[in-house]
Amino acid sequence: MKKFGGSFAVTALVTAMSVSGIAQAGVTDKDIMQDQMTVEDVVSNGMGPRGQRYSPLDMINADTVQDMRPVWAFSFGGEKQRGQESQPMVKDGVMYVTASYSRVFAVDTKTGDELWEYNARLPDGIMPCCDVINRGVALYGDLVIFGTLDAKLVALDAKTGKVKWKKKVADYKEGYSITAAPQVVNGKIITGVSGGEFGIVGKVEAYDATTGKILWTRPTVEGHMGYIWKDGKKVENGISGGKAGQTWPGDLWKSGGAATWLGGTYDPDTNSLFIGTGNPAPWNSHMRPGDNLFSSSRLAIDPDTGKIKWHFQTTPHDGWDYDGVNELISFDYKADGKTVKAAATADRNGFMYVLNRTNGDYIRGFPFVDEITWAKGLDKNGRPIYDEAFRPGNPTVTEDGKKGSSVRAVPAFLGGKNWMPMAYSQDTELFYVPSNEWAMDIWNEPTAYKKGAAYLGAGFTISPMNDSHIGVLKAMDPKTGKEVWRYQNYAPLWGGVLATAGNLVFIGTPEGYLKGFDAKTGELKYQFNTGSGIVGSPITWKQDGEQFLSVLSGWGGAVPLWGGEVAKRVKHLNQGGSVWTFKLPKS
Amino acid sequence: MMIRLLLLTLLVTVSAVSAVSAVSAVQAVESDPIQSPMWDYTRQQFIGSAPYHFDERVKVLLPAFAENPTQVPLQIDATALAGDIERIVVWADLNPIQHIFTYYPHPDVIPKVSLRFKVQQGTAVRAAVLTQSGVWHVGSAYLDAAGGGCTTPSTTGNGSPFWESHLGETQSRSFPLASKGGVRFKFRVIHPMDTGLADAIPEFYIQQVILQNAKKESLARLELSQPVAENPVISFDLRDDLNDQAGQYQLWMRDNNGNEFEKAL
Repeated sequence: MKKFGGSFAVTALVTAMSVSGIAQAGVTDKDIMQDQMTVEDVVSNGMGPRGQRYSPLDMINADTVQDMRPVWAFSFGGEKQRGQESQPMVKDGVMYVTASYSRVFAVDTKTGDELWEYNARLPDGIMPCCDVINRGVALYGDLVIFGTLDAKLVALDAKTGKVKWKKKVADYKEGYSITAAPQVVNGKIITGVSGGEFGIVGKVEAYDATTGKILWTRPTVEGHMGYIWKDGKKVENGISGGKAGQTWPGDLWKSGGAATWLGGTYDPDTNSLFIGTGNPAPWNSHMRPGDNLFSSSRLAIDPDTGKIKWHFQTTPHDGWDYDGVNELISFDYKADGKTVKAAATADRNGFMYVLNRTNGDYIRGFPFVDEITWAKGLDKNGRPIYDEAFRPGNPTVTEDGKKGSSVRAVPAFLGGKNWMPMAYSQDTELFYVPSNEWAMDIWNEPTAYKKGAAYLGAGFTISPMNDSHIGVLKAMDPKTGKEVWRYQNYAPLWGGVLATAGNLVFIGTPEGYLKGFDAKTGELKYQFNTGSGIVGSPITWKQDGEQFLSVLSGWGGAVPLWGGEVAKRVKHLNQGGSVWTFKLPKS
Repeated sequence: MMIRLLLLTLLVTVSAVSAVSAVSAVQAVESDPIQSPMWDYTRQQFIGSAPYHFDERVKVLLPAFAENPTQVPLQIDATALAGDIERIVVWADLNPIQHIFTYYPHPDVIPKVSLRFKVQQGTAVRAAVLTQSGVWHVGSAYLDAAGGGCTTPSTTGNGSPFWESHLGETQSRSFPLASKGGVRFKFRVIHPMDTGLADAIPEFYIQQVILQNAKKESLARLELSQPVAENPVISFDLRDDLNDQAGQYQLWMRDNNGNEFEKAL
């Protein structure tokens, strides 16, 4: 019901507050930095700034999980069911969760009742490459902040859902969009951009989380100038990579891609944002000889200045769409009695990397998929040793110049692992990597940049490699590169992982199941069918002495759009669009 | 059908509530000149238990029939109560979203405002004027309509990229009033004004309109709701002497997606 008139609205609000008893504290920087250990809320993407997706909660554990049952489900309603890739946030009894088509919902965590919803009115010309998804909000103070498919940041009042501020990050007509959850670091809201398939220029930007004022912008393609705002004035802040033309030929850096479409993590120890970058544009690598910095890389960025501290490029001169966006998760381990400040990432290209997070030095790397064709291995610096027989051919050397030779490359462009975040357990000291085994035929074609048009210069089709499975959840030891256990899934995995101190690992499947595994052995301990495919990331928190677990259900994302031969494994999966919340029954 | 059923349910609930409050009310209950089945419900919504009476001096000017239910011209004229007005609340009893707009006129302006709105079915249209004494003066008129105006997608928003590239573009003009010393400001702003009731199109509408003089005083403030027609055309009447001294007027608007539009008139 609509409310009118000042006095009526205020009265209603006061009543609502006293009835629900919602605390008005708001989310602080400290809350965000300590998120992993404060189990009563979830106020960061990744359940802690490092993105480990590990909870110290253990009430739901390998012994009790079989009794876990749903307590409520919340539907996103309407026709817009598809593609629910969000990670919910929880603060003071309210869940803040995004849905596809740039929507945000606030839900009472006890009852599943809707408190408010916000629907961005999107232009008809938006250009999301890979479905109309959104991966979640950031919380700061009394604001709920998220990015929209038309490349804007919107801050909503956490109590009412009304817009407090809105900023245009980039022009959607050029192919920009935002699908990642923004991240808050010391009062700044950090966002990247999507659009690598349209020849955009990737960037990372920081805004004042309270006011929405821009603070700095850092392009992720060599040659572009960064800026910082000092006392409201835009000041040059150094060209990314020093100058143009070092790792790119001609003018191609001007539409070089390297989209920062998955956002990032933050490490308080080194005060570094870790943000990955996508493919160089176009896909046809013969048009752009060179390493094409900073595409397909992990960047360490100083959140105070927007300067790049170091970079690690997983796929220099990428020719397979092996985006380097996947999350870089900080963790410490002991070696020879010393603590190593490390960070790990499982790349689209099939290799997992362990880096020294203080300086970006390569420590070790190893495959986390069963087969890799495009590279013979990694050298001592972690640079791939290419097998040129598996780089799609140059169309300009063919007779008609229209199509280069086709190769069968593994992994496929959707990656040994895609966006779906892995988890790191502090108990088992293992990474739980949601991976996929698939191959592709890929060939190059001529192309030219045109604003707002797809800029690929490649054709491709994806195919499964095994009759039994595509998805594989793998427990990987970052110290040895050894696989400890695996779970194979018929359809590709596309949802995030959660590890808990209850010796459990959770993941959802496209078939609709929320599954719980013994973290040490991989034994399946729990499953529940949510009715539609899970492509979101589960969370867990504690409320009134009980442990809760939530996950979104709602099939969609890139797989059904780009599926090729894989499509027949998923085409029967039905759309949904809801949040499911579970807990143990009270004894 | 669904809407009708819902209204019926609400009506039953509300009549029970108003029966109780009627006991405690001191004022005599005036009967609705339009005999609308929603009067008790909408009165509770917008006036509550405050004293009111039907007052013909509050003029609600409408066409007899809404030929285009997505663009019904409406003029509210409360000139007779000028100088004594806190606010004017305007609604349509049988619209799925009843509230159309609330107007807060500065004591120095002529309390007369025009705009276009969307109508879902034939309905009573009300303008309730709250005066400084705390009494509501209610003007009413009946609008006949074939209907459907609130659930039809906006023309600019229906698959056309026009609204997005022109969003918030404002045209304005002013002209002297014939009758007595005054000037009319009329403006049109490009905005889909989506009600959220058309399939798969979220609500998207201008909520706030403020007209300021050069001294940043708010001369006229409007709170709009979803039923205001697409590409709103709104006119305010100002006193002539204000115009002479003012120099520049500034129009400021904000929609529910946080977009702000400004225009010097």
